Amino acid sequence: MNAPACKSLVAGLAVLLLGLQTCAAAAANSAGAAEIQRGQYVATASDCVACHTGPGAKPYAGGLATMTPIGPVVSTNITPSKTDGIGNYTEQQFSRAVRKGIRADGSHLYPVMPYTEYSQLTDADVQALYAYFMHGVQPVASKPPATRLPFPFNLRILMAGWNLLFLNRHPFQPDPAQSAEWNRGAYLVEGPAHCGTCHTPRNLLMASKSSDALAGGVVGTWFAPNITPDANSGIGNWSQQDIVDYLRSGRAPGKAQAAGPMAEAIDYSLRHLTPADLRAMAVYLKTVPARHDAADTRPVDAWGSAYADLASLRGKPLPKHADDMTGPQLYDAYCASCHQDQGQGSFDGGLPPLFHNTATGRFNTDNLVMVILDGVRWHTDGSGTRMPGFSGELTDRQIATLGTYVTQHFGNPAAKVTLTQVATARAGGAPSNLILLARILLAIVLVIIAAIIVWVVLAVVRRRRRAADAPAGR
Amino acid sequence: MATPDSAEVVVIGSGICGALAARKLALRGVPVLILEAGPRIDRGRIVAAFRNSPRKGDWMSPYPYSPWAMQPQYKPKDNGYLIQAGPYPYPAEYIRVVGGTTWHWAAQAWRLVPNDVRIKSLYGVGVDWPMTYEELDPWYQEAEEILGVAGADNTGSPRKHPFPLPPVADPWSMIRFRERLAPVYPVVANTVARNSRSYDGRPACVGNNSCQPICPVNAQYLGINAVEAAEAAGVKVRADAVVYRIEADAKGRIAAVHYYDPDKTSHRVTARQFILAANGIESPKLLLMSTSSKYPNGIANSSGMVGRHLMDHPSSSLTFYADEELWLGRGPQSPSSINTMRDGAFRSQHAAYRLDFTNISQVLSVTEALIAEGVYGPEFEKQLRWRAARQCNVKNVLEVLPNPDNRITLSSEKDALGIPKPVAHYSIDDYTRRGAERSKQDFAKIAELMGGTGLRYSPDGQFANNQHITGTLRMGDDPAKFVTDGFGRAHDHENLYMCGTGVMPTAATMNSTLTAVALALRTADHMVPAKSSGADNGGAT
Repeated sequence: MNAPACKSLVAGLAVLLLGLQTCAAAAANSAGAAEIQRGQYVATASDCVACHTGPGAKPYAGGLATMTPIGPVVSTNITPSKTDGIGNYTEQQFSRAVRKGIRADGSHLYPVMPYTEYSQLTDADVQALYAYFMHGVQPVASKPPATRLPFPFNLRILMAGWNLLFLNRHPFQPDPAQSAEWNRGAYLVEGPAHCGTCHTPRNLLMASKSSDALAGGVVGTWFAPNITPDANSGIGNWSQQDIVDYLRSGRAPGKAQAAGPMAEAIDYSLRHLTPADLRAMAVYLKTVPARHDAADTRPVDAWGSAYADLASLRGKPLPKHADDMTGPQLYDAYCASCHQDQGQGSFDGGLPPLFHNTATGRFNTDNLVMVILDGVRWHTDGSGTRMPGFSGELTDRQIATLGTYVTQHFGNPAAKVTLTQVATARAGGAPSNLILLARILLAIVLVIIAAIIVWVVLAVVRRRRRAADAPAGR
Repeated sequence: MATPDSAEVVVIGSGICGALAARKLALRGVPVLILEAGPRIDRGRIVAAFRNSPRKGDWMSPYPYSPWAMQPQYKPKDNGYLIQAGPYPYPAEYIRVVGGTTWHWAAQAWRLVPNDVRIKSLYGVGVDWPMTYEELDPWYQEAEEILGVAGADNTGSPRKHPFPLPPVADPWSMIRFRERLAPVYPVVANTVARNSRSYDGRPACVGNNSCQPICPVNAQYLGINAVEAAEAAGVKVRADAVVYRIEADAKGRIAAVHYYDPDKTSHRVTARQFILAANGIESPKLLLMSTSSKYPNGIANSSGMVGRHLMDHPSSSLTFYADEELWLGRGPQSPSSINTMRDGAFRSQHAAYRLDFTNISQVLSVTEALIAEGVYGPEFEKQLRWRAARQCNVKNVLEVLPNPDNRITLSSEKDALGIPKPVAHYSIDDYTRRGAERSKQDFAKIAELMGGTGLRYSPDGQFANNQHITGTLRMGDDPAKFVTDGFGRAHDHENLYMCGTGVMPTAATMNSTLTAVALALRTADHMVPAKSSGADNGGAT
């Protein structure tokens, strides 16, 4: 072999090697791309964007204040910005924040961040989520204001004790006795989609009451209803398809339509899940333990019928004062243009009927009040304002009159809307006693500790004195 | 006893033009006070009153009537507010309440066509505008984005940026008109301030077909939306404040306005700048009333042009039965037009016009006709169904040329507060009548293409009015011939501006609101130029 031939062989090998290397890198990149995409799906299912995007902010840049009974908690920047976001997080630190509620600096998150539910996330999903947040999200250099809760809740270390009591420590474990579909649904419902965060009632210490899982909870001024399979109190009479339709579009025709925080959850998160995943969630939800409330004597969406009270309207002038308008007059003025004269809605249900509708059939009328005040607004699916709010047009008294008229004729006649209820909802919810309670408890504890200290000191002093007083030779 | 009061800018009139000019100024940090003669009203109560009204065809019937802010009303009988001096009647309608007359309108929000502003140069008739169409384009765009205008791409009015909203879905009747007239006429979706989808927090149109007298769901942009947006920007609105005098100081600057409250207590409000935006009849009325030894012809009237050149859009029409069921009445009231006669060399000879299809439910008019014919029993029901399904109507919207003898003056008759009532002097000239004559060819062809029977032309020489009150404050460069300059500033008073349809020098063939809003935004920008570009652009709040 002559020298040039040898040279060209070496060159050829080098090219080959280089080629192989490039191939490997490309393979790694595409694996990375797939991982990032999977992570994006997990982030969507977990609805991170809803809380971690402030008004007018870039996605995940934080700044949204979530009202809690102890004050507003402001979401943080979780973009990969190294200065203002989580760009310096290792995967382990990321995992600890998401699943244990502990930040890289060791301080504790407040459980407004549903790490209690995210603790169910599998290692693979957390890994993908990390890949997405590091490589799939644009870094944003902006720092939202810090959360400042009143004493004693400004002491984040308190959460360590709370976690000890309430935090689940293990990722989701599939139940081998159940189908793969059921297990997938259980994982999504309990983990990333964190349905229980809103739908499970909370105890005095704001932890989910696992004994009443999905039996209905309070979300600010809204009520997250019972979604267990109880026929009357829950969604037992919903078909699997009803549930899928609802999670995909916010509408279960002839039964319910999403508003408020649920509309937001569907808008940003659930409607983007695959049909198979939505079906899996429905399969699982049909099997969770049913929770029944004796007060619910028939399904929430089985109340009411078409009704109009034209005789009380026609030929009679409106009262001078807006507050004196009757239920039929208010309905005629503000509702009938869309929901029609007898509450029957439009022929295709696009404008929903008010009877056979969970909005009017529920004994708890908080959501009815909130929908009248705020309307129904979707942010990303293009439908925008599905129903306008009337907070600017209707007084508290008018909403109480109208709400009670609507439940009486189109919904559950036992359900009422009261003046105080409307005023409270309009004000953003009832003030919480939690801070006062915590401070009183803390004061009691401090008093007891002080008493113990005094008692110990006194005891010691007394003993010393007694020792000093004792006869010397003893 | 007068209450002293002041603001940086006082706006007289809370209609869509005054309110949006006020909003623009407030967004630029200017304290603004709006004085509105009429009361504040509530949409729901208007809706309830309309449903309860036995006079569904009278679009004024659900609106409250305030003795201190009289407005023309003709049903059940003429209230004698707008006095007719003839020779042709001018029964204009407008509403004096917070939000103004666009509480009830068809929401047609057309732009001009470019040649509309040059008809003197091009066709030797009317006057040219003191600006080009191109200069108006950005103001149109801003207005369209505030109002949420939905439109098609074949309107005939060029634009640099797309409409904020796609056209509103066609009702069945208009689909059929479009399909059947296609060989001869392009039927164009109307450009409307009506939501084809949710926009700016307001919902999409759900087709109640009661755009007039009231959009019950807030899908159509109304003056009250403008007022609420102005208030959100910091503007103060004082209802029930009937301005009766504009006061100039020795240097010719406007110093104050005087208003009565409903008890006729007088108040005086001072400001550095003033906007008169009280509509094409009330604004000139107020200027003409504000006489003094220095201004014996009233404020801003050294030219004698205040109140003159009154224009509107007369319409004649054809009603007929189509040979298929069209069922007018589903969807908005005014969905489509034919624009082929809005411009052309013919404008030197006769009026241009737009052809406008109504989609108002025919049940009421057919019922009234059947009762008048004495039809009853099963035949009544059969006929009602047949006719209501097939009856349709096309009308022209005719251009009127400016004529100084068509004018608003003051009557010796007074309203409840002792303020003179306005008088309308009006005529319809041969130019317009020739346009009407020409449009009958189109009417006949349209009826033919729709298999029309039972053709009923409106009687020759009889015209319906469209409430597009224009020309009475007309803008132009020559102080001897025009009331305001090209930016709406009074030629006679450097701190008095005028907004509204009255400033338009010609009426062209489109509903006047959008052009008036665009001009009002331009006027506000001229009064207080933006510090940095784009600070308050993009209308959606």
